Amino acid sequence: MGSDEEDFVFHGTPIEREEEIASRKKKAVAGASGNLRTLPAWKQEVTDEEGRRRFHGAFTGGYSAGYYNTVGSKEGWAPQSFTSSRQNRAGARKQSISDFLDEDEKADMEGKSLSASSQFDTFGFTAAEHSRKHAEKEQHERPSAIPGPVPDELVAPVSESIGVKLLLKMGWRRGHSIKEVRASSDARREARKAFLAFYTDENTKETPDSLVSETEVETSLGEDIKISESTPVYVLNPKQDLHGLGYDPFKHAPEFREKKRSRMSANKEVGFRKPLSMKESLFGPKSGKIAPGFGIGALEELDVEDEDVYAGYDFDQTYVIEDEQPARQSNDNRLRLTSKEHDVLPGFGAAKNSDYSMERFNPPIIPKDFVARHKFSGPLEAETKPTVSAPPEVPPPADNNLKLLIEGFATFVSRCGKLYEDLSREKNQSNQLFDFLREGNGHDYYARRLWEEQQKRKDQSKLTLDVKVSPTVQKMTAETRGSLLGEKPLQRSLKETDTSASSGGSFQFPTNLSDTFTKSASSQEAADAVKPFKDDPAKQERFEQFLKEKYKGGLRTTDSNRVNSMSESARAQERLDFEAAAEAIEKGKAYKEVRRATEQPLDFLAGGLQFTSGGTEQIKDTGVVDMKSSKTYPKREEFQWRPSPLLCKRFDLPDPFMGKLPPAPRARNKMDSLIFLPDTVKAASARQVSESQVPKKETSIEEPEVEVEVENVERPVDLYKAIFSDDSEDDEDQPMNGKIQEGQEKKNEAAATTLNRLIAGDFLESLGKELGFEVPMEEEIKSRSKPEDSSDKRLDRPGLKEKVEEKTSSLTLGSEEEKSRKKREKSPGKRSGGNDLSSSESSGDERRRKRYNKKDRHRNDSESDSSSDYHSRDKQGSRSRSKRRESSREKRSSHKKHSKHRRTKKSSSSRYSSDEEQKESRREKKRRRD
Amino acid sequence: MSAAAELPTKEAHILKGHEGAVLAARFNGDGNYALTCGKDRTIRLWNPHRGILIKTYKSHGREVRDVHVTSDNAKFCSCGGDRQVYYWDVSTGRVIRKFRGHDGEVNAVKFNDSSSVVVSAGFDRSLRVWDCRSHSVEPVQIIDTFLDTVMSVVLTKTEIIGGSVDGTVRTFDMRIGREMSDNLGQPVNCISISNDGNCVLAGCLDSTLRLLDRTTGELLQVYRGHISKSFKTDCCLTNSDAHVIGGSEDGLVFFWDLVDAKVVSKFRAHDLVVTSVSYHPKEDCMLTSSVDGTVRVWKK
Repeated sequence: MGSDEEDFVFHGTPIEREEEIASRKKKAVAGASGNLRTLPAWKQEVTDEEGRRRFHGAFTGGYSAGYYNTVGSKEGWAPQSFTSSRQNRAGARKQSISDFLDEDEKADMEGKSLSASSQFDTFGFTAAEHSRKHAEKEQHERPSAIPGPVPDELVAPVSESIGVKLLLKMGWRRGHSIKEVRASSDARREARKAFLAFYTDENTKETPDSLVSETEVETSLGEDIKISESTPVYVLNPKQDLHGLGYDPFKHAPEFREKKRSRMSANKEVGFRKPLSMKESLFGPKSGKIAPGFGIGALEELDVEDEDVYAGYDFDQTYVIEDEQPARQSNDNRLRLTSKEHDVLPGFGAAKNSDYSMERFNPPIIPKDFVARHKFSGPLEAETKPTVSAPPEVPPPADNNLKLLIEGFATFVSRCGKLYEDLSREKNQSNQLFDFLREGNGHDYYARRLWEEQQKRKDQSKLTLDVKVSPTVQKMTAETRGSLLGEKPLQRSLKETDTSASSGGSFQFPTNLSDTFTKSASSQEAADAVKPFKDDPAKQERFEQFLKEKYKGGLRTTDSNRVNSMSESARAQERLDFEAAAEAIEKGKAYKEVRRATEQPLDFLAGGLQFTSGGTEQIKDTGVVDMKSSKTYPKREEFQWRPSPLLCKRFDLPDPFMGKLPPAPRARNKMDSLIFLPDTVKAASARQVSESQVPKKETSIEEPEVEVEVENVERPVDLYKAIFSDDSEDDEDQPMNGKIQEGQEKKNEAAATTLNRLIAGDFLESLGKELGFEVPMEEEIKSRSKPEDSSDKRLDRPGLKEKVEEKTSSLTLGSEEEKSRKKREKSPGKRSGGNDLSSSESSGDERRRKRYNKKDRHRNDSESDSSSDYHSRDKQGSRSRSKRRESSREKRSSHKKHSKHRRTKKSSSSRYSSDEEQKESRREKKRRRD
Repeated sequence: MSAAAELPTKEAHILKGHEGAVLAARFNGDGNYALTCGKDRTIRLWNPHRGILIKTYKSHGREVRDVHVTSDNAKFCSCGGDRQVYYWDVSTGRVIRKFRGHDGEVNAVKFNDSSSVVVSAGFDRSLRVWDCRSHSVEPVQIIDTFLDTVMSVVLTKTEIIGGSVDGTVRTFDMRIGREMSDNLGQPVNCISISNDGNCVLAGCLDSTLRLLDRTTGELLQVYRGHISKSFKTDCCLTNSDAHVIGGSEDGLVFFWDLVDAKVVSKFRAHDLVVTSVSYHPKEDCMLTSSVDGTVRVWKK
């Protein structure tokens, strides 16, 4: 036996439990049979049918407890695992009684539930249920590779119900629907034939035939298989891809699903299975622009920068080896077509020719002699207008009053109509003055004026009407052209009106009044041309209406209220808009007039009309600009740049800014300045602490100003001070004896105020802007708090100022002085509080001088940062550099001159180069470049 | 053309291994080894003279855009699309430090001469200087005067030079604390410094290489003929400064005479865009890398 075992090779682990169970069973059976009867009652064991002990005693678990009964494991009750995370909330688990039951108990329970016996289970419901349960159980017992219900296991053998049996007896076969199949299909065929008989057309006759044959084949094929099929298809979507379970690549792009499916089906029908390329399955759906082969991590999201810039290239060709079958292409195409046909509803055929066709409109035929250039038809306007021949130009009558009267009357009549003329003629029949209405003195002039006025009005109305359509296709009268060009028409009337009015003209026409309100035509036109509400035509129209009314003067017509769709507030808002727009236009007019005057009239026309040549000209212009710009480049600019001390250390270089204050950063925006400035100020004030003699506050304020050339330096403090701190004004009031104490105090104060100021500065600036205040500069405050200071400065040290002004960077001081001066001039009343001047005269003066000295020094320092000091530093500090420069120049010259001579020895050659040579080479270079 | 004969135009080896585009290929300090990096997020160490791959460094989260080796060949730094600058140990392949701070992709990195700092040029319009000596991961200095993406950076002993898409080549001189900005009017793709240190070669996106005098900012010469319009292509000078080398987007490599700007030689190095050109520090040997995934070694 032992030797036998040595010969065998065992695979897997032997199943032992079965024997165990079997032995236990045997025991149980034996017990039941009578073995146990012999035992005393207290030694007898109650077991279940499997031989497991039923009762365990109070100390070992009580009724039917223990490992073999309900306890999950040998060690005891297996605790239920409970996990709950923020993403995965653990729901309240429902416990059912089955959780606590043994199998045998369950079997008992099941036996109690009501169910139809299989014999009378006509429709197989119970049987199906049973089989499903069975399948489930089976599945648990032998878990298959593919989790989830497997079709094979689902199709459980159903014991045949009585109904099935009956049906089978009647000739029904499995898999077929319960109806007379043959008959129905025959009937359908008949019907189709009858239907086809209606076709009389010859050309269609052929097609139906083919159609019939096709469909017949199809149906005859499908009849048995398709139509009568009754068993449902269980598995609709077999898993064919390589995605993870439950992963849907088209979750966020469902539009691609259909495409994929059609492709897949096409592939399948052809009969070959294309191996899914990586690109398609993994990276395809994510983004088309990602380079194949490497996605990004699962936790990262695709960004713009992940786009493959090299996407234009086909990587498949370069390194992805894939068996392609180019020959299939045509085949594939055909299949696509047929698959399309499959989309047609069953019983319908795709129409070969449809009634519906997209109506196409051909573009209009351009006549051959058409020239794509607009010609102005000048006299066109004259033709369309039934012109009354213009009365001849007549010199105005000598009498000034009469002339005025005539002009005013003419305007009035032209505005109000002929009726008014008739009316007034009647009315003033006796009046000598109105003789011109009849054939009297000045009638000719009146006629002329009237005509002119009418013409003007017509043009005006026309202009307002069709200014959009063609402002240029207008007959140009002298006046309209003048107004177009922005020329002011010679105001013959207006001036003289004034004189006449002053001279005591006894008559005033109401028209004169309206004339004063009426703006000249040009202004209106400007408004028309401007069109501030271009994007909203309705609004624009309303605006024009508004303008008209505005310039006409008088009460607003109710007409403007016709837009009832707008609310009251909206209308008011719009009115405001219009007012603003009108004002803007008025303002813009002056500028425009100037511009128009300078422009040629043709240019103005070109602005309104698109000439084809305009575009090319523009392009040419830009080309010229380009050429220019390329000539100007490269441009060299120099800025100050401060390397950090550590950087210099790492490069083993001396810090050029050693011992200097940290630089003010080039503030980009307010936030930057907010962040950075306090530090510098703090540092500055900290530095000042050591020199207690010098008043802290001013210097500490001064420091950043000197360093920074940006605008954000000057912080508005005035408002802030006014609100938050009123004691800063009393600096000068402090008695001078307690200097140290003062210094101490000021130190603290300076630090606090500067910090606060800087933080509050931005806020206040914005606040001031909102309130519409002119936010004052810092200098002003200073000068206000110490008004005598700067004046003293100026008096005491006249030479100093000059000296400072000589320098290039004295801008800050200059502006400072100026500001303070201005301030003093502006607000003399504010200095009334400066009564402490005399008390601290002498010591204060000294102090100031010191301060000033210091300031000056600072300024020098800062200045040296920017300009002069550098060069000297450069000169003394880096001789090698200058040498290098020389050598480079030399080198360049050598480049230019003797190209064969390579510059490996340039350093040696540079030593001998003279200045003349350099100059010479430069000149030559320039010549070359030109 | 004796000059052309000196040029490395013969293919010695093809270094294959990168998947997808190779974005940069750099010789180490003595030219015995080469580091390449690419879209596949790896950095590879090669022996270009024998054509063998030595090591692959993986840690980057996105494509690696540039790499540079210290002068003692012990460390190298790399940067890329993951907005970080990595400081590596060559032999162990471990990342010593990661410098975070750039707000965008990092386009170029360089060590200084003493390998004490790394300077990186980023999409966030800044140059950042990182300290390798201390344990600080904060930048030593941020230079943010550029108006657009900084594409390339070059260091000398005393200066930091950056080329930017805003069309400027800015030189930051640490000795005098000045910034000199040379505006070329065209986006600058790549800058490289001549071996004598007097000129800067700037590859611009208008398919032009421009040679600038460093001291005066004068435009000395213009080199045309290649295509460089949308990709980052490299340019460099030969060791003798006699020729200018530039990669082209059509896969060609151009050699111009430095002085008369004539195309001395051009040949097809790759099928696709030549992303990087690197010249051996001593010999006439050249590395080119391309979008086609290969790195080629060229010799005389």
